[in-house]
Amino acid sequence: MRHALAGLLSLALCAPLSAQEEGPVLRVTGKVAGGAVMLDMAALRALPATTLETSTVVTDGTHRFTGVLLRRLLGDLGAAGDSVTATALNDYAVEIPIRDFERFDVILAYEMDGAALRRADKGPLWIVYPRDAHPELQDIRYDYRWVWQLSDLEVR
Amino acid sequence: MTRAGAPRFWMLLPLGAILAFAVLLAFSLSRMVQVETDIRVDAEQNMLWVMHQSESAARRLVETTLRAELGEAGAGEVALRLDLLRSRFALLQDGPQARFLREVGLQAEVADLGARLEALAPLPEGVTPAEARDLRLALAPFAGFFARAANVTMIREWDDLGGRLETSRDQLRQIIASLIGITVTGAILTVTLVLALRTSRRRNAMLRRERDFSALLISSSGEGILAVDAAATCTIWNPAMTVLTGRAAEQAVGRKLSDIAGFFDIAPVRQAVAAALAGRATRLARHPYFRDAHAPPLHVDLRVSPMRNQGRVIGAIVFMHDASDRHAARQKEAETRARLEHLVRERTRALDDALQRERSAADLYRNFAGMISHQFRTPLAVADSALQRLIRRGARADAAEIAERATGARQAIAGLTRLVESTLDAARLQAGEIGARRTPCDLAQVLEMVVARQRAAAPGTPIALQAPAGGAAMALCDPAHAEQVLENLLSNAVKYATPGSTVCARLHGDDTAVHCDIRNAGAPIDAADRARLFEANFRGANSTGTRGTGVGLFIARSLARMQGGEVSLHPDAARVTFRLTLPRPGGAPE
Repeated sequence: MRHALAGLLSLALCAPLSAQEEGPVLRVTGKVAGGAVMLDMAALRALPATTLETSTVVTDGTHRFTGVLLRRLLGDLGAAGDSVTATALNDYAVEIPIRDFERFDVILAYEMDGAALRRADKGPLWIVYPRDAHPELQDIRYDYRWVWQLSDLEVR
Repeated sequence: MTRAGAPRFWMLLPLGAILAFAVLLAFSLSRMVQVETDIRVDAEQNMLWVMHQSESAARRLVETTLRAELGEAGAGEVALRLDLLRSRFALLQDGPQARFLREVGLQAEVADLGARLEALAPLPEGVTPAEARDLRLALAPFAGFFARAANVTMIREWDDLGGRLETSRDQLRQIIASLIGITVTGAILTVTLVLALRTSRRRNAMLRRERDFSALLISSSGEGILAVDAAATCTIWNPAMTVLTGRAAEQAVGRKLSDIAGFFDIAPVRQAVAAALAGRATRLARHPYFRDAHAPPLHVDLRVSPMRNQGRVIGAIVFMHDASDRHAARQKEAETRARLEHLVRERTRALDDALQRERSAADLYRNFAGMISHQFRTPLAVADSALQRLIRRGARADAAEIAERATGARQAIAGLTRLVESTLDAARLQAGEIGARRTPCDLAQVLEMVVARQRAAAPGTPIALQAPAGGAAMALCDPAHAEQVLENLLSNAVKYATPGSTVCARLHGDDTAVHCDIRNAGAPIDAADRARLFEANFRGANSTGTRGTGVGLFIARSLARMQGGEVSLHPDAARVTFRLTLPRPGGAPE
């Protein structure tokens, strides 16, 4: 995975629409091995996929999400912090305790109902909690941690 | 408590309080659940934020387009901002957001704007200022729309929130009222409980006092009291029972009645207890109770009664009373009565005896003249004949003959003298000295003397004598009277005997009397005559042609009865037997 952080950051924002899938989609900074890591979609898809089914507060019915377990991803990156600050493309930012990822199977979803998440919807990455499996997650204090259009994770 | 309706009121009040308590509690619980549901805030109610974010996305897109127009931003940057705005529309047209827009009437406008946004083509690489300006102008209405939508949303959300708060306040007020009601009913219940506890404690104390008093009654009773339950197991055993039976309460209580003492296992007691358990009371009088094998028994009265509780027999109570004194008194009374009766019987017999003898003596006196002629005639005749012979012999008589004849005459006169004395004694007898002359004498000797004289007087008739030797025939009698009776009977037997036959004189006896049977073989006595045979001056049919006065048998019986004896007739087919019976010396009462 380390080879994926080959300084493509400056190109990410200028990449054409068609090249969205190819460019880096997530930057991980802060207390990680190497200080900052750029990840493209291929690198994420190369990791073991986890699927969970849950309802969300902004849609009707349940949906099947596929993605990477966040504790797995942060573990692979050698993250050593207590929390992460997740920032979206529209500059929405929220701080999430890393304990959430240990207690619950929180994933970084890239697919919903078998289709890749698009940037014009809630893609390319969406932090999804197993909301239906744990009643305690059905709380607005967890609901604001569902960051869609995720672009940055800063481990603190 | 003294009023008639009071107990019902005291029952109804707590029941009502409990009911009110339950209703109020259920009501306040349901209200609280409602409040709990209402105060949940869903993310979907966060529409103001959604509108703000959408407006922000629209304004940043316009800003980026303007910068592209000035050549500061590239096509990629514009495309990103365009995608972000598109994502807002995707969000607004989905699920709860779409429903909210429908409610506030903005759905159609959003759909129209969304379609217009989709129709916009992304800017090519190396965008010209004119192209960017066209895009900027096309995006002009978006920010304004979202500003308006945010306004509408704010008003709508505040209305909702106000309504919800009002509802919650109402519900909380109801809950507070319910809680006050619960407190009041709780207080009523508490007061009722305290009162009930006090009443219960008072009643318990009363019951305890009554129980203690009953126990005191039972324990201080002088009568033995025991109680058994329906299974005949002892439950009460008072100190008097311990004194009566020698068994302590610890040895009795909790054990089967039949195991406590054998007395309680005898049939009458067992049946009495069973009857009491079946509802019937029983009394048993003076039953012997053996405390141990060596001492004499107590005699106890028992009263066994059923114990009832609300009409149901739950056991039996036994009262045990020591009746030994009464028993002893009764027994003594019975003994005294028996002794008295015996004494009276004895006295009556003695009096009857005396009366009989007196009557005989009286009869004899009444017939004294007849008797003189009958009894005196024979000795006088004997003396006379002896003297006549002496005269006839005159000088021819020698001294020996004179002595013999004189002696015969003297003997006859001596017999006569004895008879006179005895008969005169009757005067004394009449004066109440009955039996004074009776002495024990050997009847065998008397009989031998009489038989010898009779043999001398009537040599033609043989007399067989059968008598036990040596005082075996001792009788209580006047020997002169006994001699006279035997003389009469024997001379009668000889007189009426078939010529040549033998007269039999047999002496025998038993424990109380001596019998002398004089029997001859002669003409049988008519049945009609038998009854009158012993009357004075009666002469039977067979006596015709025989010399006699008719008083011999009368005198014999009278003399016998004067001595407490009897002369009786025992006839059979061919023989006649007269029997003299005299009492034994020890057997006859004085």
